[in-house]
Amino acid sequence: MSKTYEYVPEPALVKGNYDFKDITAMITDINLRPTPKGWYIAFGFANLLLLVLLGSIAYLFWEGIGIWGLNSPAGWGWAIVNFVWWVGIGHAGTLISAILFLFRQGWRTAINRFAEAMTIFAVMCAGIFPAIHVGRVWVIYWVFPIPNSMTMWPNFNSPLLWDVFAVSTYFTVSFLFWYVGLVPDFATIRDRIKSKMGKLIYGTFALGWRGSNRHWWNYEKSYMILAGLATPLVLSVHTIVSFDFAVSIIPGWHTTIFPPYFVAGAVFSGFAMVLSLMIIVRKMYGLEDIMTVDHIEKMNIIILVTGSMVGFAYAMEFFIAWYSGVEYEKAIFILRATGPYAWAYWIMITCNVASPQFFWSKKLRRSVGFTFFISIVVNIGMWFERFVIAVSSLSTDYLPSSWGYYSPTFWDISTYIGTFGLFFTFFLLFLRFLPMVAVAELKGVLPQADPHNYDEKGEYVPPVVEIPEPYNKPSKNV
Amino acid sequence: MSDQSNQTTYWKSLNELAQNKEYKNFVEREFPEDATELSDQVSRRSFLRVMGASIALAGFASCRKPVQKILPFSRQPEELVLGEPLFYATSMPFQDSVTGLLVTNVDGRPNKIEGNDAHPASTGRTNIFQQASILGLYDPDRSRSPLQNGEKVSKNDFAQFASDHFADRNRNVLFIDEATSSPTYHRLKEELLAQFPNAEWVTYEPFSDQNVIEGTQIAFGQRLRTVNHYDNADLVVALDDDFMSPQAHNNSVENSVKLTAKRKVESTDDSMSRIYAIENAFTSTGSYADHRLRLKSSEIEPFTYALAAKLSESVDGLAAFSGVSNAFSSHRWIDILASELLANQGSSTVSAGFDHSPTLHAAVAAINYALGNAGNSVTYHSLPYRADRNEQQAFFDAITELKAGVFDTLVMVGTNVAFTAPSDLDLVQALANVETKIHLSDYVDETSRVSDWHVNRAHYIETWGDGLSFTGERSVIQPQIQPLFDGLSEIEFLSTLLNGEISSGHELVQATWSNFLGSDMNRAWETVLHDGVDAESGFDAVNVALTSGFASEIAPSLSSEALNGIEISIKPDERIYDGRFANNSWLMELPAPMTKITWDNVALMSPATAERIGIDPERSFKDNSVPMVRITAGDTSLEIAAWVEPGHADDSITLTVGYGRNNLGRVADGVGVDTYPLRTSQELFFRAASVEPTGNTYEIACVQDHHSLEGRDMIRTATLEEYKENPDFASYKSIHGYEVPGIKEAEAEGDDRGPISLFNENYGPEYQPQWGMTIDLNSCFGCGVCTIACQAENNIPVIGKREVGRRRIMHWIRTDRYYAGDVDNPTAYHQPVPCMHCELAPCEQVCPVAATTHSEDGMNQMTYNRCIGTRYCANNCPFKVRRFNFFNYTKEYLTTGDDPEIIQMAMNPEVTVRFRGVMEKCTYCVQRVQRAKINSKIATGSKRPEDGAVITACQQACPANAISFGDLTDRNSAVSRNKQNDRNYVMLEEINVRPRTSYLARLSNKNPELA
Repeated sequence: MSKTYEYVPEPALVKGNYDFKDITAMITDINLRPTPKGWYIAFGFANLLLLVLLGSIAYLFWEGIGIWGLNSPAGWGWAIVNFVWWVGIGHAGTLISAILFLFRQGWRTAINRFAEAMTIFAVMCAGIFPAIHVGRVWVIYWVFPIPNSMTMWPNFNSPLLWDVFAVSTYFTVSFLFWYVGLVPDFATIRDRIKSKMGKLIYGTFALGWRGSNRHWWNYEKSYMILAGLATPLVLSVHTIVSFDFAVSIIPGWHTTIFPPYFVAGAVFSGFAMVLSLMIIVRKMYGLEDIMTVDHIEKMNIIILVTGSMVGFAYAMEFFIAWYSGVEYEKAIFILRATGPYAWAYWIMITCNVASPQFFWSKKLRRSVGFTFFISIVVNIGMWFERFVIAVSSLSTDYLPSSWGYYSPTFWDISTYIGTFGLFFTFFLLFLRFLPMVAVAELKGVLPQADPHNYDEKGEYVPPVVEIPEPYNKPSKNV
Repeated sequence: MSDQSNQTTYWKSLNELAQNKEYKNFVEREFPEDATELSDQVSRRSFLRVMGASIALAGFASCRKPVQKILPFSRQPEELVLGEPLFYATSMPFQDSVTGLLVTNVDGRPNKIEGNDAHPASTGRTNIFQQASILGLYDPDRSRSPLQNGEKVSKNDFAQFASDHFADRNRNVLFIDEATSSPTYHRLKEELLAQFPNAEWVTYEPFSDQNVIEGTQIAFGQRLRTVNHYDNADLVVALDDDFMSPQAHNNSVENSVKLTAKRKVESTDDSMSRIYAIENAFTSTGSYADHRLRLKSSEIEPFTYALAAKLSESVDGLAAFSGVSNAFSSHRWIDILASELLANQGSSTVSAGFDHSPTLHAAVAAINYALGNAGNSVTYHSLPYRADRNEQQAFFDAITELKAGVFDTLVMVGTNVAFTAPSDLDLVQALANVETKIHLSDYVDETSRVSDWHVNRAHYIETWGDGLSFTGERSVIQPQIQPLFDGLSEIEFLSTLLNGEISSGHELVQATWSNFLGSDMNRAWETVLHDGVDAESGFDAVNVALTSGFASEIAPSLSSEALNGIEISIKPDERIYDGRFANNSWLMELPAPMTKITWDNVALMSPATAERIGIDPERSFKDNSVPMVRITAGDTSLEIAAWVEPGHADDSITLTVGYGRNNLGRVADGVGVDTYPLRTSQELFFRAASVEPTGNTYEIACVQDHHSLEGRDMIRTATLEEYKENPDFASYKSIHGYEVPGIKEAEAEGDDRGPISLFNENYGPEYQPQWGMTIDLNSCFGCGVCTIACQAENNIPVIGKREVGRRRIMHWIRTDRYYAGDVDNPTAYHQPVPCMHCELAPCEQVCPVAATTHSEDGMNQMTYNRCIGTRYCANNCPFKVRRFNFFNYTKEYLTTGDDPEIIQMAMNPEVTVRFRGVMEKCTYCVQRVQRAKINSKIATGSKRPEDGAVITACQQACPANAISFGDLTDRNSAVSRNKQNDRNYVMLEEINVRPRTSYLARLSNKNPELA
């Protein structure tokens, strides 16, 4: 008796029978079409929020850190929470673009550009906070090792200094990686755009790309190298951010589990953010065939895995607090769950540990609406995770006499809300002017990219190479 | 005055000619009086002009040096060296006693007050009122000129008026004054009374030792001062007597010094006195006591009689009480106290709070007499300057006469009767019956506003004066600066009334002292100025005996019963006393010793009482609002924030006075609630009242939100017995049952400094000295004077109620207060917490810009210039002692109002003022350390000052001598010896930050029967 094995093909990464030309048109037309009204509305709204941010920062610089709700014992509050949260969000982009690239995960091509852009803007939002949260912002440059007549160097023992290097390196590499990936697509737009100015600008950014074999060869190499460079950064940035807490001696902060736990949390929140944005964008721009439900499902699985890792870390913290026998450590974890910040703790647990468990169900993880809902919940949960770590540990540390409650002021909240203005302003500009999907790479995962060039009869069929037409405004009656 | 110096030699009246004498003196002076008027724009211009003139005339003018010759204390250089502080002895009058002080004067600018070692009431120590009085001097809200019906006039206008008005010596004048012990004042008073045959003179203090004195009148037939010698007492029984706190006792500093000295424990051989406190509210003294019993204020009296009755069974002299039987006769404490007192005859003190009745004080005096304490641990002294009558009653009677229109002129010296007098006297109404009302005061206060003439009083730091200590030692008050606002002192004021012209305080005081000092006046005078006290003087001790009529006189009171239901007890405030310090922001922002509340007065009540009247005894950790209650007594009612104080007696509510001011000054205005209306002349201190929650809430700025130790080991205690059995009780191992983690590993490596560490600790091991501090918790009773002293020394800003409420208080040394045990009757522990100056300081490791680093002499230093304000150091400080300038507090503080220069003068020029956005914290008074090192280097060539050469501000002020500071490399220094004490421990030893500040565990001398 012989067994028959059936070949189960991988589902196609791009749904619909698009050829290269369709793909090029589908994605770059978004940039070349006249700006839709909806975009202006969204951009106006984002600009308003950006103004809120600028106003909040201006008032902060004028008046001092006291406008925030910080106090003694809680020297850090929303600013640092927001910093860690935004940096965490940024993680998904690099993970998708670098690690999944190295692991040859073809499905990443649909979302990598998009996620990388999100990373860059998220890191920009994050970077604002450590810069503005200092008491004397006008001497913030002292954190950089700039040679000076006093031969005064920064303190290389301080995790905050490591942060400066970690975040700036991360931003630089992410930005380069993103830009290198964009080069062939810049050239595509350059070739399709009609306006002279457009040609000049996109042409400048395309760095003279002509699609020659040598160009592709250089491109592939540099992309690979940058992916290799970015991969350790995915792990290092949040590890170092976690050192801000882990290197200190405050109970609830001084924890060796923080690096992996922060990285898992970052990937968790980053994927959630990518999903939130993607679900809106694929609908708005009609990209459901490129960013498919299969993509959503795969990302949901990552959310489920990282969410469970984070949940495990929460449990582990409690175990270690008990196992270590350190009374202050024990006290802080009991206080987190039962003390003045119990509300925040249970929001965190509900959002981060409980909510991803729904994705054990195939039906739910393929449900676009439900995924969108969970992605928002996860982001709220991850914000609260940082809040619980940063604030509750400080509020109730060693000396009970110094315990004190922290609550934010209007300005804490407005600064945070304002960063969404910054984020969406950049993100909308990105959607409008840059191809939001890596066109060249996406073509590489089409069935057409793997042509067999022989028909059923075994006859050779030469591939059809079509050069896309310059973009023309569709006539009104079409 | 400024007119004269500018205009000149023409004169229009004889008076002006007389005044021109001063002008003639102009060239002889280093600086004319005008220079004191920095106030408004116009005179500032004239200031500059005069400034130029005086430099031209005198050659050298150090801006505000007083004119008369005052002698610097011995530690000063021969000549004034700019920037070098000089120390002058003076003394601060407070009611009818003065305390000797040493004022630090830098370039003619007094800016720090310290105790005078040579003065018995100080012995180098101070209380919060004395420490904060330097800010009172520079208070820009002080009245700046005399006012006639609210209009500004000059000092000479007033002199002119006085000369005209008092030309008629037959006027019916009523004088109301504050208690004072000044011999010069009393000399002038005598002269005035002699010249004005129809004058009446009464003294009114809303809170004073009046009843104690009346008590001795009942018991011994003489009005005497009772002095308790806690240094001779093995047993102290305090009946609602908070004798260690300045608001409750005029001699609190001396009391605290002596009591804590008696309880110093250096080894297991030492003993301690035992303190029993029976009290209503939880006070500092109560928290320091070994045993505390909470009773309502109105229960104290029957309790005392029951105690006397019990004692009468065993000793003679208390027969008057033998028949007393009341609710307390079978109280457990009566037997215990009686047997303790009998066992300590001649070496115990029994005392009662000033607010209790004369008969209770008579009973206390009788007990002390019967036990043989009188003459030993309690002495009685004659009060020569005090009229032999009940002053309080005389005041009430005078007001009645005032209402009847007996007087045509009312002169009020310093007192603020319109604010403080009992409400039933209806004083403001009474004042309307007087034609001419003259009021001398520091501020344009409630009384000034209803007076025809207000005269601005000069601060004691800027005028000549004199006074007697609580025990009668004579002191001279010598000015440190020209009067800032050109005011008159009390003696100058009286002299003006007497002579119709302003005379020099210096001459007035010298005229008085020529009687005391005899023939060799000049030399003796200089000695007194130099030492700050005439050590030969003092009140005469009196041998007392119970009067024959004692039993019959006290008999009617013996049946007194406690009030039924809820009582209110009205006390002077811990910080602003009767309201006289209400505009002092250092005091306003000082957390009250027990409640840790700033910037408000509250209604204190026990948790059980709170629950009974419908208030949640648990306060929210998350917000500052507390419920308000309406208190109704008689026909007066007011709404005030309720505060639940564990350990308060049930069914009793304690209120403090002095708040609820309007138009007094920018600090005092709008703070708290005026509770004076609840006092009546019959029930001044406690009375029955009803209380109900109103449903409103009120924000309170309390600096400590959590009051339990949570079982942690920050405070380590034992009884004296336990200590003797196990001297090592305070060590980590004794507390936890195992060694500090990492210690074995360190020992294996031959490191005996502490647990094993990742870090390089060799930051200066060869360098000497190495600084360290110990704080003896067995001495600290939580008064908070260290905080004020530190604030004065280190230019620490005041930030206001809102900022304190947001937990941003700037104090470099705070006193943590924890409750332990039963919530109704807890034990309270005080723990002063300055920077620990950790050897392995966690703050230093995390600062990204290296703004906080270690000095080679072992101090954790803060470089303000380098700080960028990440606050990471504060987060990583396990003791939370770092303070952040969230706003530009200093700027607000130093530039408020119209006259920033005035308040700036209070700043210590040796300490940088901090800008917004930088971190600050205790520096171990590095400026004092450096000065001592420099002086030592100059004197001996060694940068290692001898032990005791560096005294930190907190250490210097502490009346309990709880703080010691010095060189740890000197094995014989006081601090080293303390560190070798068995009780020495550091907080959070297990995190291995190696604090340089350590604590000596608290002991209590428990009675085994009560333990």
